[in-house]
Parts: sequence; C-alpha cells; structure tokens
Amino acid sequence: MPNSPRPRAFCTKLVGDFTSLVGASRADRWPREGVAWFNLAVLLNEVDYARPESVAEALELLAQHDNARALAGGQTLVNVMKQRAASPDLLVDLADLEELTPITVAADGGLELGAMATLADLIGSTEIQERRPILGEVASRIADVQVRNRGTVGGNVCSNDPTNHLPPLMVATGATMTIAGAGGTRTVAAEEFFLGVYMTAVGPGELLTKVSIPTAGGTGDGFFSVTVGNEGTGIVNVAATVNGEARVAIGCVSAVPVVVTSRPDDDSVREAVRSAGLDPPSDVHGSGAYRKHLAEVLAMRAVAHARSSG
Amino acid sequence: MTDTTLERALVVEPTETKRGWAGQSIPRKEDQRLVQGQGVFFDDLKRHGMGFLHFVRSPYAHAKIKSIDVSKALELGGVYGTLTGDEVAILTDPFFELSTPPGADMKDYALAVGKVRHMGEPVAAVVASSREIARDAADLVEVEYEPLPVIVDAERAAEDDAPILHEEAGSNVVWSGLFDWGDYDAALAEADQVVRIERLHFDRFSSTPLECSGALVEYEKATGQWTIFCNHQMPGVGAIWMGPALRCGLDKLRFVTHDIGGGFGNKICLHPQLTACCLLARKLNRPIQWTEWRTDQHMANSHGNERTFLDVEVPVKADGTMLGFKVRALDDCGAFPRYEPLGCIIWAQVTPGLYRWRNIRVDFTQVVTNKSAVGPNRGYSRMQHLWLTERIMDIVATQLGLDPVEVRKRNYIRSDEMPYETPNGCVYDSGDYARCLDIVLDLIGYDGIDERRRDAESRGKLLGLGIGSTLDSGTNNFGQSQLLNPDLQFSGNNEVATIKLDIFGEIVLTLGTVPQGQGHETVAAQVAADILGVSPDDIHVRPGHDSYWNSHAGFSGTYASQFAVTGLGAVKGAAEMLADQIKRLAGVILGGVGADAIELEGGFAKMKDNPEAALPFMACGAIINANNAGLPPELDDVSLNCRYVYRPPFEVPDKERKFGNLTLTYATQIHACVLEIDKETGVPVIVDYAAVDDCGIRIHPQIVEGQVHGATAHGLGAALHESFPYDEEGTLLTANFYDYHVPHALDMPPFKTSSIESPSPFTPLGAKGMGEGGGAAIHAVCSAIQDALRGAGGAVVHDSCNPAHRIWELMQEPERSRGLVSVESRS
Amino acid sequence: MREKTIKVEVNGQLYEREVEARRLLVHFIRDDLELTGTHVGCDTGNCGACTVLYNGDAIKSCMMLAIQADGASIDTVEGLAQDDQLHPLQQAFSETHALQCGYCTPGMLMSAKYLLDSNPSPSEWEVRKAIQGNICRCTGYVNIVEAIQKAAGND
Repeated sequence: MPNSPRPRAFCTKLVGDFTSLVGASRADRWPREGVAWFNLAVLLNEVDYARPESVAEALELLAQHDNARALAGGQTLVNVMKQRAASPDLLVDLADLEELTPITVAADGGLELGAMATLADLIGSTEIQERRPILGEVASRIADVQVRNRGTVGGNVCSNDPTNHLPPLMVATGATMTIAGAGGTRTVAAEEFFLGVYMTAVGPGELLTKVSIPTAGGTGDGFFSVTVGNEGTGIVNVAATVNGEARVAIGCVSAVPVVVTSRPDDDSVREAVRSAGLDPPSDVHGSGAYRKHLAEVLAMRAVAHARSSG
Repeated sequence: MTDTTLERALVVEPTETKRGWAGQSIPRKEDQRLVQGQGVFFDDLKRHGMGFLHFVRSPYAHAKIKSIDVSKALELGGVYGTLTGDEVAILTDPFFELSTPPGADMKDYALAVGKVRHMGEPVAAVVASSREIARDAADLVEVEYEPLPVIVDAERAAEDDAPILHEEAGSNVVWSGLFDWGDYDAALAEADQVVRIERLHFDRFSSTPLECSGALVEYEKATGQWTIFCNHQMPGVGAIWMGPALRCGLDKLRFVTHDIGGGFGNKICLHPQLTACCLLARKLNRPIQWTEWRTDQHMANSHGNERTFLDVEVPVKADGTMLGFKVRALDDCGAFPRYEPLGCIIWAQVTPGLYRWRNIRVDFTQVVTNKSAVGPNRGYSRMQHLWLTERIMDIVATQLGLDPVEVRKRNYIRSDEMPYETPNGCVYDSGDYARCLDIVLDLIGYDGIDERRRDAESRGKLLGLGIGSTLDSGTNNFGQSQLLNPDLQFSGNNEVATIKLDIFGEIVLTLGTVPQGQGHETVAAQVAADILGVSPDDIHVRPGHDSYWNSHAGFSGTYASQFAVTGLGAVKGAAEMLADQIKRLAGVILGGVGADAIELEGGFAKMKDNPEAALPFMACGAIINANNAGLPPELDDVSLNCRYVYRPPFEVPDKERKFGNLTLTYATQIHACVLEIDKETGVPVIVDYAAVDDCGIRIHPQIVEGQVHGATAHGLGAALHESFPYDEEGTLLTANFYDYHVPHALDMPPFKTSSIESPSPFTPLGAKGMGEGGGAAIHAVCSAIQDALRGAGGAVVHDSCNPAHRIWELMQEPERSRGLVSVESRS
Repeated sequence: MREKTIKVEVNGQLYEREVEARRLLVHFIRDDLELTGTHVGCDTGNCGACTVLYNGDAIKSCMMLAIQADGASIDTVEGLAQDDQLHPLQQAFSETHALQCGYCTPGMLMSAKYLLDSNPSPSEWEVRKAIQGNICRCTGYVNIVEAIQKAAGND
C-alpha cells in the first residue's frame, strides 16, 4: 500500500504499527492495494449507535463490542470515520453522561476535569482561571470556536494525535488520568498514559472519566508553539512548568510527548532538550531538523514564561 | 507614446454616457438571497429519481489499468449503474487538444483509459440512490493496476530517458518554443554588469474555491438534449471540448449556472467530469448529481501552473538601468494539458512586467508529470512571469547594492509613455506605476522604516520591507493561441448581452457571463440603468448563465479579468440598441419625430422639447409585443429585444515574430509589505500591508475593493502557506485544509488600500478588468523576506512560497541560496 | 441501532425523520430537511461553511451525526430573518460588501450571531477569533470583520 498520509501526513510517519491506526480487528479489513482505499475521505461506513445513560452502561457496551468506540465531541472521531481510517462497528455516544462533565475542585485544591468537559468549558471555568489558568489559555488556542464548543478534554487526550495541545500540557503539569472499567477505576500518571500515535492506556472496555491536575501553587506554567498559520495545527508545541526545577513536555516530535527536566535557566533547558535524543519526522510543515531546533527554542521560551508566572 | 505598429485604431471615442449609477457602490442585488441562505448552488438542486455519482479514483500516480470489475458494486442495493474507461473510449472521442505535437497526441478522456497518470484520477464512476451508498459501492469496484515509475519533477520529465506518460505523444514535452524580442545579444554586450540567477521556482498552489465543482445533469431522450446545472465558469469553451467528444452538436449541451461559490479559474477544466455525468445521465436515464469532495478538488481538479526559471541572465548598466533578460522557463502542467499549452504564451501579455527593458529572450518548455492537471488559476501564467520580473528587480538591486525602490522607479514604464507598446507588441493602455508606488510607500510608512527596523531588532526580530508590483492583464486576444499552434482557429474575444423591454414594461437583461461572486447582476444593472434612464432596481438581471437564453458566444464565461470590458461592453451595446429602439418607437408614436428628439428619463420616453409628451416604457413594450397593428414599416426592426455581441478590437498576431496585442487592458496593483521574522523560529508576521490599485474607471468601487482584498488574501496564502508538494510516489501531501493552510481571519494582517484611476482609452467604459490581481502579494512578501534576511546572511528568496520552515532554512544556510546568484562585471 | 427516527427542532419548527446512524447532520439538514442554506466546503471540518447553532452553541454540522441531534434545537441561516426583516447581521453584511460568492456566508453569519449573542461589543480581535473557524476565499475577511462590528454598533 502506498505510504501515504492518512489521515494526516505527520501522524502516519510516526506510526510503526499500522494496526494502532485502525485497531487490530480492522487492520485485516483495510482495503488491499489498488482497491478503493484511496477513495478516502467522506462519508462514514455503516455504523451502529448507542446512547447510554450511565457510565456503567457505557462500559458494558464498550466491553461487549470488540470494535466499539466512545464518541465524545466527535471533532476527531467523526473526521477519522469520514476518511474511513477508522470504522468502528458501534459508536457509544457519551453525550448523556452528565457525571463526566463537571470541572470541580478536589479536596487538595487540585482540579478535576470531567472527561466530557468541553474545551469551551475549560475556557469559561472560574475554577481553572483561579487555580491553573494555563489550561484555559491553551484550550483557547485550539482550532476555533465551533471545535471548542464540542471538543472535550477526554477526546483531545485520548485521541492522542501527536499534534494535539493537551497531551504535552497534561504531562508537564503532572496530571493523573482516571480510567473506569468493568473491574472499577484505576489511575495512570499522564507520563504513562500516552502510549503511541492514537494510543493511550485506555484499553478495550474502558473509559477515561476524569483528568486531575494539581493546583498551580507556586508553580509557573508556560506553553509555546509554532503552528501552521495562526492557531492552526502544531508544528512543535511545548508545555513547561517551573517549581524549583523545570519540567518540559515536548509535543509534535514523537508519538507521545517527550519529557525533560532540568534547572530552569535557558542554558540548562537547551542542553536538556538537546540531550533528549529527539528524532522528529519530516513533513510538509518542517524537517526533522527544524522541529528539533524549534523544540529547543520553544522549550526555553516556555520555561522562561513559566519562571515569570510562578 | 511609442509608435505602434497596429493597423486599426484601438482608441474608443468617448461617447456621451452619463455617469449616474456607474461609479456608485449600490447595494448588490445578489445579497438578498445570499445572506438568507437562499442562493441556488448546484448541490442545492434536487430531482426526483436522481442518482448520486461517486468517482473511483486511482491510488497510483502512474500505472496501467489491467482490469476493472464493477460486478460487486452493481450488486449493492441502491446502486443504479457504473461507467468505466472502456465505455468512455467507445462512446466518446478524446478531448480536443490545443497544442501542436507532442501535446496534440496526448489523449484525454472523461475517465482514465488504459492507464492512470496521477493519483486521484477518476477511473470509474458509480451512481446510487444516496451519497453514502455510492461511496460504499465505490469501495466494491475492483481495479487491478500495474504500477509504473512515477515522475514528479519537471526537469526529470524533460529528460530523454524519462518514463513517458503519454506513449502516443512519445515525449513528456507538451510544447516548447523560443521567444526572442529586441536584441538580447546587443544588450548583453552593452552591459556594465551581468547578474545571473541559476534557478527560481514558482510553487504549485490554487485558489481552492470554497464550493467544490459539480453538476446536476439531466438527459432528455426525445431530443438528445443534456441540461447541465453546474458551476463551469467558461461554458463557451466547455461546450467546444464536450460537444465533439460526445459527438453531439453544441446546442445539445445546455449549460445552466446560478450561484457559484467562487471559481478563480479552478472551474474551467470540468469537461472530463461533466462528460462522465452526461454519459451516465444518458445510460441510466436519470438525473445525475456529482459533487466534488474537497480532497478531490485538491488532488484532481486543477492546480496553478508550477514554473521553474533557469539560467536567468540580466544585463545591467551601472546606474541600475536593466537592458533586458534571458531565461529558460520550464512549466509543469501535471498529467494532462487541457487548457494548456495556453500558459506557454499567456505570460507574454506582460513580457517586460512593469519595466522598460526591450531585449527579452525566453526559452519556454512545458512538460507533463504525474501530478494533478493545471488550470487557469487566478493570475494564470502572468503571475508566474511577473514574479520572475519582480524577483529579478530585487535580486539585481541587492547584488548591486541599489535600493529596490529606486531601481523600480528607474525602470518602470512612465505614465507619459502610455499607451506603451512592449517588445512583443502588446499595448499597455494606461497606468502610472511610479505614482502608485509613491502612494503605497506612504501608506506603509516608508520614511520610518529604519527606525522600525531597529525596534524590531531589539525584540529579536528581523524586519523587512518588500514591494510587489504587478499587472492584471485582461480581455484576452485568443489569437495568441495561434502563436503556439498556427493551425488553431481561435482569435479575438467576445461576450454577449441581451436586453428586452417586455409587455408590461419589465426590462430584462441576460448575460453570457458566469459570475462566481463578482456582482455581475448589480454592475450590469448600473450600466444599463444609466443608458435607459431608470434605476438599477428597474433592471431585472437574470442570475447566472443559461445556454437556452442564446445570450452567449464562443468565449462566454467569467475568467481572465474581463467582465468590466467584455461583459459590460456587451451590456452597454445591448442597452444602447434598446434605448435607440425605444426612442425610435416613441418618436413615431409621439409625433413623427426621429430618435434624437427623444430622451429617456425615469422610465419614460419623452420629447426633448416637450417633456409633457411622454410614453411610459410599459406602453412601448405593450405596443411592440401585443398591439402593433398600424405601425409604419420603418419600425419593422424594432423588437425591443436586443442582442449585442461585444467584440474587442484585436488583430491576429504575427506568428513569425510572435508579435501583436494579446490583451486589451492592463490594471496595476502595487503592494508593499512590512514583516518581522522571528530570528530563532523563522516565523514571519506581517505587521503592515498596503495595496494600491488602478483599474481605470471603477463602476462599483466597493466591488473593486473587494476584489483587491480577496486577491491579496489569495496572494498572502500562496506566499506563506499554500503549496501542493508531492512525494516521490506522486502522493499529494496537502490534500485537505489541515495541511493546505489557507488564510483564516486571524492570519490577515492590518491592511490599507488606496487607488487611482487611469482610464483605459480602449474600452467602452474606460474600465479595466481587475479580478485576478496578478499575485502582487506573493511578489511583495518574497521581497520583504529577502529584505529582512539581509541582516541574517543575505539569503536569496528563490521559491514563491516561504513558510516558516523555509525561511529558517534560508537563515541556516544563506550561502546555498546566495550561491544561486552571480555577478559578472564588465567595464 | 443503524437507523432511528429522530426529532429535531430547526428554526423553531419540529421535524421527525428516520435517519441512518452514519448520516452527517449537515447532509440531514440539506438533503432530508431541504434547508440548503447550510453548505459543505471541505471533508475535514476545517472550513466552517456548515456552521449552525446547536442548542445555542456554534458547531460544525459536518462533524456531528444527525442521530446525535435527536431532541436538540438547531438554528440555521434560514431562521435569521424574521417576518421579512433581515437580521442586523444580514443587513450589515450586505451594506459592507462582506460577501462576494455567498458560499461561506451562512456559516459566517451563524458564527457572528453566536459571538454577538454573548458579546455584544466585541473588539476586532474578538471578532476575528469568533470567525477563525470560517474560511472565506473571496473577501480576505476585511469587510466581514467590519460588518460584524457594524452590526454590533462598533464601527
């Protein structure tokens, strides 16, 4: 099959195992070469649809059906289904799961973001503005108003498109993901949550229910990116926190965010990024060398901003 | 004024046309329906029993088709039928080719026949009861391919041992020729310096109109009549391609357009897909609906010409006067010529750009490659050439340590030289480039630039100022096609308007044009209203185009910056005919006087010396249409239904010398751009932008301004983001709006405009066409980037599209691009 | 379920239709309800020509399935004018020449309405941000921004 960019050039280059793109059970049904696969884009395959009224019901549906997918805001999944890069047999619409939407403050003062909280919710949340404003600031730069009205925290995080904004931010801020399954819930640190292109620790039959972010306290946050056009797709993005030391999470350079830590001065940050062994792919928006360079520059800028905002 | 060698006077005698409505920015007639979502775009139309068409497209850039099996697709419930290349090869003849051999022998059909030559090329078509089923059925069509080696590089395509795309042509060269005007060798001998530029590359991009291409096609068995509701923007030529292919008379192809969501030249080469729709409408005996998907448009509709300029050589005098230039141009037209090789001559409308050099030699070759075919994208072929001349100005100025502003002023054609005959016989009608440049420099704050540069430096930014001067040549003389192929029978140009005064006094105007947002209904009404003494509200202009109105001719359509000349010329002619007829009728009815005793005012035909004696238009219409007994014989030809064909004054160019007037009008746009480049990331931000435009008399200033805005946005997109790169397998890497980034609202810089009016002496209204713009933004941004990079290694900008990563690369290795330029001193 | 009968309120009118689960909301609006003011301009949810209000929120209807809209209230461009009176935004767009071909206009108007409903006095930057998800290839956005500010009384 031609090594062609589906759904987007950048992602395919990072995918070692194509099954991660479409799910193991569908990889064999991916149209063989020369036939129709290139009729990419537009219009979904037939699909079944369910709209559970509780998390338990949703989990049951996801567990029962091998090729079921959770539908959150649809801003990624519907597009991917249009391009037939992924064609689940069953969509489990999470729209009615009210318990997944709130943004609340935890006992320790940290933030708990329901997986179905939208990006617009993040921007409008006073809890976030008071405790960790970087979340709202970054959310406000994602795509556009329409996407932010529907796109969810869970969706952005679980789709783990390497150019997404939230994964590096989650890793930098030390977020914790809560995953529910048949056997109960478990938590996974952000750094272990992102596993590969479009792949996270959420397994079959499981659902991300919330993301917990520590309150800022004395920590400063920064986020810098170079995008395709203003507020477009990321070419490189970097999230940084500074609390004594600098913690930097670099996106768009690998399948998952790359973490480096260092002293928070420019030279140390630059050195740490340089030593991280980054090997970003090349595509129409930049060479690997350019991305590597941007990672250094943006890391320094993000840390500098974090230094001054803490 | 230069001596012209033309035999007929071009100058139009000024007539006593009142300027009442013309010149005002009246509310657009189109807006009422468009703001309410009541526009009629082809995809809005529904027909009972219609079938939705989905194309099966090639996943290979170059391959033989071994077999196509549609049987599984036909078994899917809801599928009405299919079409394959085998059927097409039997039912149709290949589309007419404009070129001489080898291009003449490149066969082009509605579907791929025997082999595929670019990824996304339609191979089969499936029609079904819903879009979704058609899409599903397309997956079931089994095509077996035998892949062939892929060519995505024009220079490779031109090599003797390159794989051949069109075997019957025996070559990948579509057309090649040498253009040689003045005495280049003498200019070279006279030079104090010779600047050489090894290579410049104009990137492939397109205007990507928001509405994709498409049609709803009906076939009437009884008469063999096809009705094609579509958005083809040049139906005159579309019919010329499709009729012979379908082996039917052109009248059997009724093109109907209504509202169109942008065209910009990308809806001119739709004949292959429309022919497939026609065949299926006939085969399946039902209406066929085809809507192009966005990805299809990027992969398989039309791109702008991609052009590489090699071995540029510029003889220069010590004072910065440029004596001429020489270049080898290599044009990449993608897999099929289609509208090409016209691009191989159309640039010659602006051979010297805005400059006075007289000695120009261009060695032009066009090749096919395994990429999407090109089409006359906004700025078509002139934009590429003007970019070359602007790059030359900047690069030479930089090399010789001269100010690019001064070099332009020194070399610009002067306003007192207008009309100006170029080295190849084109006549620039009017313009004042130096004055436009002064205005734009003032708008951009040229005097304060140095201080802004220092301020930017303190913030870690490189500031650059760039000028982009361009011409929008409009109203083609299609005789230039004969300079490419002497056997072609095309020359001149035309447009048609028909206007009638109906039985109840309604004035109805139909045009042959095909508007895609240019406001033709409104502007045509303004012109007609002035002549008929009514208000534009009294003129009903039918939206769009319909062959059944018989209000079109061979070149009808909306393209090539000509509506203000050809469309309005036709409207003026038709309205004057009607006005004359009304006056003659009224003169007889009111008192046996001649037409010159009558004037038209407020919907009445009045006796000039006795305004009480007045005949309302309704009475005129009623008499001629329904109450005509007793009218004298001298009124036999008064029908109050007047059809006028505007023909611009052109001669067939001299084929030997490739010499003659190729376009009637030349609008000017001069842009200035101030940008800041982040030294560390290479990201450019435009901080100030200004555009000055001169398109002669402005009939509707707001509409003209809108075109300036839109052309600038297209240019900025092309300068900073938009391009269509391919990988070695022939995969288009920017097939959607994620990767092919067009300007969004946050991308547009602060933007000032101004204008002057240099009327054209050659057009009916003194107006010039101006919609294409000429790509000034591309020239200005390239110029600004190069200026900014003077402070960071002095790289030379040699591509037309420079996103952040390319700017960064220029900064990283300036010696690489600088190495493309050399200066030879001779004294 | 692969199909469902859904009830959707559009511009204040209730519609009941059977839809396949895979049918996009934009095609439902255009083909099933025959409200063709909302347009399709791309395949990947970038262009915004399909923008409608969904329970008051501006969304891109090409990235929602019709079946998800069961029970929802949708506003399209056809609902802007009331009793033969153009909405101030529609009026402003026409006066300011904020449309040329008109294809992006319905989506643009809905995004503009969404902005002004919650922010009656936006700055230029806020206007641009509000229409960032709506691509126009004709106007360069210059007059669109001006029109929205005019409708807001801020010109």
